[in-house]
Amino acid sequence: MMAELVIFQNGASKTVAFTGEEKLSVLLQRAGAYMPHPCGGHGSCGKCAVTVTGAVSEPNDNERRAGVRLSCQITVLGDAVVTLPDSPRDEQIETETGGLTGALAPMPGQYGAAVDIGTTTLAVKLFDLKTGACIGTAAGLNPQTAVAADVMGRIGAAMAGSLRLLQGQVTDEIERLLAECRAQAGVAGGPESLVLTGNTTMLYLLTGRDPECLSHAPFHADTLFGGETALLGCRAYLPPCMNAFVGADITCAVLASGMCGKNEIALLCDIGTNGEMALWKDGTLYVTSTAAGPAFEGAGISCGCGSVRGAIDRVWLEDGQLRVHTLGDADAVGVCGSGLIDAIAAALQSEQIDETGFMEDDCLPLSGSVALQPQDIRAVQLAKAAIAAGMEVLLETAGVSLGSVDTLYIAGGFGSHLNVESAAAIGLLPPALTGRTRIIGNAALSGAVQALLDQNAHQALDRIASLSVHVNLGGSPRFNEKYVEHMLFGDDE
Amino acid sequence: MDLHEISVQLQAGKARVVKTLVQQAIDEGIPAQEILEKGLLDGMSIIGEKFKNNEVFVPEVLIAARAMNQGVALLKPLLAEAGVKASGKVCIGTVQGDLHDIGKNLVKLMLEGKGLEVIDLGTDVSPETFVKMAVEQNCQIICCSALLTTTMGVMADVVKAAEAAGIRDKVKIMIGGAPVNQAFCDQIGADAYTSDAASAADMAVSLCG
Repeated sequence: MMAELVIFQNGASKTVAFTGEEKLSVLLQRAGAYMPHPCGGHGSCGKCAVTVTGAVSEPNDNERRAGVRLSCQITVLGDAVVTLPDSPRDEQIETETGGLTGALAPMPGQYGAAVDIGTTTLAVKLFDLKTGACIGTAAGLNPQTAVAADVMGRIGAAMAGSLRLLQGQVTDEIERLLAECRAQAGVAGGPESLVLTGNTTMLYLLTGRDPECLSHAPFHADTLFGGETALLGCRAYLPPCMNAFVGADITCAVLASGMCGKNEIALLCDIGTNGEMALWKDGTLYVTSTAAGPAFEGAGISCGCGSVRGAIDRVWLEDGQLRVHTLGDADAVGVCGSGLIDAIAAALQSEQIDETGFMEDDCLPLSGSVALQPQDIRAVQLAKAAIAAGMEVLLETAGVSLGSVDTLYIAGGFGSHLNVESAAAIGLLPPALTGRTRIIGNAALSGAVQALLDQNAHQALDRIASLSVHVNLGGSPRFNEKYVEHMLFGDDE
Repeated sequence: MDLHEISVQLQAGKARVVKTLVQQAIDEGIPAQEILEKGLLDGMSIIGEKFKNNEVFVPEVLIAARAMNQGVALLKPLLAEAGVKASGKVCIGTVQGDLHDIGKNLVKLMLEGKGLEVIDLGTDVSPETFVKMAVEQNCQIICCSALLTTTMGVMADVVKAAEAAGIRDKVKIMIGGAPVNQAFCDQIGADAYTSDAASAADMAVSLCG
């Protein structure tokens, strides 16, 4: 029997028809509705709450525990209506790539595009390859988020038969963003050449390659890319990855930072769900990655949100009171990554949180109904400890003291909005380096643009990758020790 | 001195204070076993209970565990001298293909807190190693941990390996980790699933009993 599911979102409705019974998450995906499932549909994170009426399954244990209906747990049995939270259409995605020179030895064709495939977001820049001018910029969410928020979840999904779906999701979205760029530029054709960067898993999924080898220790990638192929009807260059968890995005970011061209000790850090780090010292690039979890992207935080209108992005202390700024100066709807770090730094200063992360009060009110709960502070402790411990062990392995680091480069969308002082106050970044920190924006995209406009950069990328040495933190006793130490906010006495 | 103060400071995660107090108690001639039980283990079991009830979260447990480890380090030589006997023996590890060990280490700590002897096999442990060590060390329980959905399947291989080795009726198999649940435990024929470290310790004690 044919049944219909009506989906309301952003004040509009869509209908999807199906027979028999079907999981709601499958129907939403089929209808192209935006509904992230951060925990990969396990029903454990409680983040995919929806309002649903009609012929659907009874609430299960996971839903009863969460006290809401969860889109990942519901089975639709017949005609039903579901209302989804609005999709973040005005999400601000970092496409700022810093200063660029014109085209030197560009890739062939009239037009070319650089694409950064992030786990959460995609960013595209279209160029006129004859002049080196940027003629269009577009950004969107990675639709694979609907399948799973993190790379491991997506690798699991790909192995369970969704590889083609995941590949189609990302190529469709790139096509859409390219069309948006063409419209901005007022051009009908192109691009002829593409540079596509991203982490190793993203490139596996983009090229439809089975990521089984990335799913278990020893995490040995059976290809690291680094060459030309044909994709999306274009000549496509994929920059080299350094290993299974330090991808082409970091190789590109290192290129963009210029750190390997200088006679200095430099550290580059891209903070996201995974924290990737690269340390340049005496001709060797020590690289590592550490799993920070999604706290900095607002997931797993009770009032967390992305960089949407109404997100609290700045918090500071004024006359002993917490003050906030929201994006678009709208009423506060939640707190995004930069606001979260600020809020904790301010609460440590006002002693509303102690050095072990303990909060005397039940919660920390920020604005309106937006407040941080004790478990939110704990989630940040886990995330910042992973980054800080990773950084410390990387430095130790290379035999570098904090004092001898000349520059700390912070790459990536989260880092672009980060208040470095606050990050140092909570121990996410070493306080000793605040004066030597440079925020370099979406450096992965900058590096991809360089590779598009100057083919000599392909050699430079190969050289960076060949000089890299991987420092493994998994199961390292030193890392575990430092991880617990960095869980604290400062000294424990 | 009041050993309860050690428990309180441990719960607050004050490693240095705990260390000082434990040394003070030793100097006062209080038996090591008593300092361990009424001070450190008391504090850790309260943290474990609170964790089970969602009153505290992973960082508090890890911070308290850090304080406990510093206290235990002082007591270990004294306990060895006194020849305290364990109430059961367990081998524990993170399954093959998985390097995550924070959860596994927490369970280990809670098991030790219940007076069990724990053989830590580390991470990336093959099913054969689990079984071999259980036989060699005469363990009553094998504890398997996994954090990845892509590696949890190895737990089924551990059960099969134990069957193949003919020890399935002698050794209980416990499983845990973020992607695992009771349904999965039933499906692969393991003996017990627990959702947190404190429950795992309680379960292990009852299985050894």
